[in-house]
Amino acid sequence: MAFWSRNVHGETTAACDPRRADYAVFSNVTLLRSGKTVLSNLSLTLSERRVAVIGLNGSGKSSFVRLLNGLLLPDNGEVQVYGADTRLVRAELPRHVGFVFQNPDHQAIFPTVAEEVAFGLTQLGEDRTVARAGALKFLGQHGCAALAERPFHDLSEGQKQLICILSVLVMRPDLVVLDEPFASLDGLATRQLMRRLVGLPQKLVMVSHDLQLIQGFDRVLWIEDGLLRMDGEPGTVLPAYVDDIDRRAAAEPA
Amino acid sequence: MLSLYIPGSSFLHRMPAGIKLILLAFLSAVLMPVTEPLVLAGALGLALGLYALLGKEGIRQVQLVRPLLPILVILLLLHAVTGFVMEGVSVVLRLLTMVLLANLVTLTTRMDDMMAAVAPMFRPLALVGISPRRPALAVTLVLRFVPVLLAVYGALSEAWRARTGRPASWRLIAPLALQALKLSDHVAEALIARGGADGLGRPAAARPPRRLS
Repeated sequence: MAFWSRNVHGETTAACDPRRADYAVFSNVTLLRSGKTVLSNLSLTLSERRVAVIGLNGSGKSSFVRLLNGLLLPDNGEVQVYGADTRLVRAELPRHVGFVFQNPDHQAIFPTVAEEVAFGLTQLGEDRTVARAGALKFLGQHGCAALAERPFHDLSEGQKQLICILSVLVMRPDLVVLDEPFASLDGLATRQLMRRLVGLPQKLVMVSHDLQLIQGFDRVLWIEDGLLRMDGEPGTVLPAYVDDIDRRAAAEPA
Repeated sequence: MLSLYIPGSSFLHRMPAGIKLILLAFLSAVLMPVTEPLVLAGALGLALGLYALLGKEGIRQVQLVRPLLPILVILLLLHAVTGFVMEGVSVVLRLLTMVLLANLVTLTTRMDDMMAAVAPMFRPLALVGISPRRPALAVTLVLRFVPVLLAVYGALSEAWRARTGRPASWRLIAPLALQALKLSDHVAEALIARGGADGLGRPAAARPPRRLS
């Protein structure tokens, strides 16, 4: 569907309160996509600084994180983000929840880096020249001044994803959601970006297949077939997950 | 890959986008009635000179006209066959000059400046309730995704060649169209994630009331 035919502006009757510690509350959330149940009866509360979401492809991870910024709305139950029902504050959610997608080429809207970063500021209502100055300053603060005038498609994959992350951060969200942000990056770029991410003051919710990266997180949600299979500290959830996929792989004929 | 913008600070970069567009329209109108090949050759020389001002990268961008060459040759041949060689030369010189000048505007204007320059033309759309920002954003997206779609096409033809051993075929049109649609879905999602085409700036009270989708 084309972007101009999507209507994301619901009438706002409630407001997000970014000071709330429990930034997301899922109550009996069921989500359907093209008739299939993607998440069923999910209830949980998120208040940790670093939350990882793991699971096999098609388990419902991406749908789960899309409920956090209103890209998807529950068919049943309720998702509250910073205390407000996402159905009521959908249009305002991008102010509070930044979203980084898997493929940088699907996220960048402008042909050059500075324009891409400035876009976030014009979205917040800044005037064009102020937004540009703000974007250049922000790029400088993050050591990317040299990239400002570069065409986006000329950047390395790591640089592309870094610019996508900065384009989200420049909007000063309270929570940053990342959907497999390192899927197309090499090991070095992944670690460089990860260092920046864990240093952020924002809350993070990240989908990842790279289990090494999320060992230092505060909480891991393991989603399987639309259900929360396990929820806890990485020290308990990650070994159980690895055991499970090893067992399944071994059950297949070689 | 030819890029659509060369970073720089030449006088062309500093000139406001609106002025550049008006100058381009003016020059094209002036060149139209000129038939004297020498004058047109001079104009072409001038256009090439402007590219040279942009430095090495500017000169490299002149090769943009390469895909036009077969058409220009055909034009010239057609004129030669019908006995109007000099007219043919004029047509070719004029076309080359105009294309190079138009491309020069693209090469030296950042997308957001271009958007700001063309947005007033879309202002009448506000009368029918469409934000003038939307068509301007659509134009930007086209320019942004031309290289992306070319890369998608490149990957598809590679996959085709790997399995058939033959060069790309017309059969790639369907998968390319599907990939383009999928891509547009992703981009729409990314745009919504950052506040949608109309942005978050306006206070809620100023927004026209709409129902949930």
